[in-house]
Amino acid sequence: MTHRTVEVPVIARVEGEGALHIAVEGDTITDLRLEIYEPPRFFEAFLAGRHFSEVPDIVPRICGICPVAYQMSAVHGLERLFGVAPPEGTRELRRLLYFGEWIESHILHVFLLAAPDFLGYPNAIELAKVQPDLVKMALQIKRVGNDLMAAIGGREIHPISPRVGGFSKAPRRKDLEAFLPRLAWALEQMPGIADFVASLPAPAFPRPVEMVSMVNEDEYPINEGAMASTDGRSWAFDEYETVTNELHVEHSNALHSVMADTQTPYFLGPLARVNLNAERLTPVARECADRAGLRIPEVDPFFSMAARVVEATLAIEGSIRIIEGYVAPDPPMAQVTPRAGRAMWATEAPRGTLYHRYDVAEDGTILEAKIVPPTSQNLRHMEEDLRLFVPDVLDRSDEELTRLCEMVVRNYDPCISCATHFLRLDIERR
Amino acid sequence: MRRVVVVGCGNPDAGDDAVGILAVREARARLEAIPGVRVIEGAIGPDLSDVLAESDAAVLVDAIRTSGVGRDPGTLVRVEAGPDGLPVETGVPLSSHGFGVAEAVGLAAALGPSPQVVFLGVEVADVTVGRLLSSAVRERFPQLVRSVLDEASRLAAPA
Repeated sequence: MTHRTVEVPVIARVEGEGALHIAVEGDTITDLRLEIYEPPRFFEAFLAGRHFSEVPDIVPRICGICPVAYQMSAVHGLERLFGVAPPEGTRELRRLLYFGEWIESHILHVFLLAAPDFLGYPNAIELAKVQPDLVKMALQIKRVGNDLMAAIGGREIHPISPRVGGFSKAPRRKDLEAFLPRLAWALEQMPGIADFVASLPAPAFPRPVEMVSMVNEDEYPINEGAMASTDGRSWAFDEYETVTNELHVEHSNALHSVMADTQTPYFLGPLARVNLNAERLTPVARECADRAGLRIPEVDPFFSMAARVVEATLAIEGSIRIIEGYVAPDPPMAQVTPRAGRAMWATEAPRGTLYHRYDVAEDGTILEAKIVPPTSQNLRHMEEDLRLFVPDVLDRSDEELTRLCEMVVRNYDPCISCATHFLRLDIERR
Repeated sequence: MRRVVVVGCGNPDAGDDAVGILAVREARARLEAIPGVRVIEGAIGPDLSDVLAESDAAVLVDAIRTSGVGRDPGTLVRVEAGPDGLPVETGVPLSSHGFGVAEAVGLAAALGPSPQVVFLGVEVADVTVGRLLSSAVRERFPQLVRSVLDEASRLAAPA
């Protein structure tokens, strides 16, 4: 039996639980379990008993990288239940805030995680030593996204301005206009980045997949839309919990999502969105898709990096358009009167569809919260991918096998606990 | 004036993982009284390299869990970053969440010129989401806060 553990010797960030166990007999996998720790379950319990107005301050704490996603799914759902129409301009400002998050999250993943992998560097630091200008440029683009989030959200880390009913404070037009030259510069870089991604050697792994994302006839979906899949399913947010099921899995404290009728897994995220919304791509985003070699339908998860570049481009183009037409919502927030009932909504987080449900009492107290993050919905598919992928690479060393398995998981950019570090691979060979 | 940033890292909702954030929060008023010092609570790794690039020196305070060395919970660890960053083995993280403090320091060093970085770590006992600080970490907390203040004062003083 070979037991391999990748760990850190001197000091380490607190590690969460991210582990992959594979048991093999000959060339057959007899057991494969991906164990991932997820924080949202704690927050569901934490939200119960809180006033609805606290929700936009609590849910962003679930994730340091995509706090806006958690806020947006929550505020839209609660507004719908309460029959609140936020002031004119709120819709665009929320989309802009969310675009900031997409830019920041996607560029981070492409350059600091995926690119070193595909280029065979041990990490982004080594890539930065060899190609410092490339990494500096990437960090500068990422920073535009972070700064947009800070300008609209009111502070650097977790945005504090989004409220049920609108924003506590809306940015001034001139503060947003200051972003235009930076966004124009970032947009100019994107076709070159698409070429860079196309030039990277990647494993080929086309496999059967049902991809799921929001769809919207009028625009590339982010805050508003309905659900659809590449197998022809379509449903509304109200049906989310009947169309999909969350299963308890013995080996993981995370839940696994499947389609309720077929009990099959589904795939969320940038690649799913691009596939289902290719016609809504903006001009430079479309050019970047072509240059990155992304052809629709694209079922190879290793094209997720290309999809992130396409979406970052779309987010930059969209941000420019929104800022050019921006009029600050005035007043920034609508009056909100709670009512009892069930709030349901989903938005497109950087990693895929994020569904929230809140059962609310008459006085606005949250009775029960349910948060279904994209990562838990993708977990079953990650395992499926590994089951399909691993048999072809079993002849590799444990070290190489770990690296390849990490690449398969990394395609999803799983939103594990902010603490989780490397994949710990245990492989039993018999 | 030297620009010194003091960053408390970690997850405020996960037991001892909050210790870095709580320490800089506790010291904030006294830190901000030192000319040139700015305080950030709760930064995550991916955003840290920007912050480091804009500073002459940094004090990073974070929870750690060390494998194989057998440190007691609550143990304070002080490490200065060298030209290659912190003495930690780094790899490609599994997710964006794995891009942590050590990665950020290493990246800033690779892109240089990198600031002088002092890392203050606290060995954790319990990082369960929803828990408070463990007694072992709480016991050493005042000493950690003093160390944060001492390091920041020292780094802010003209050479």
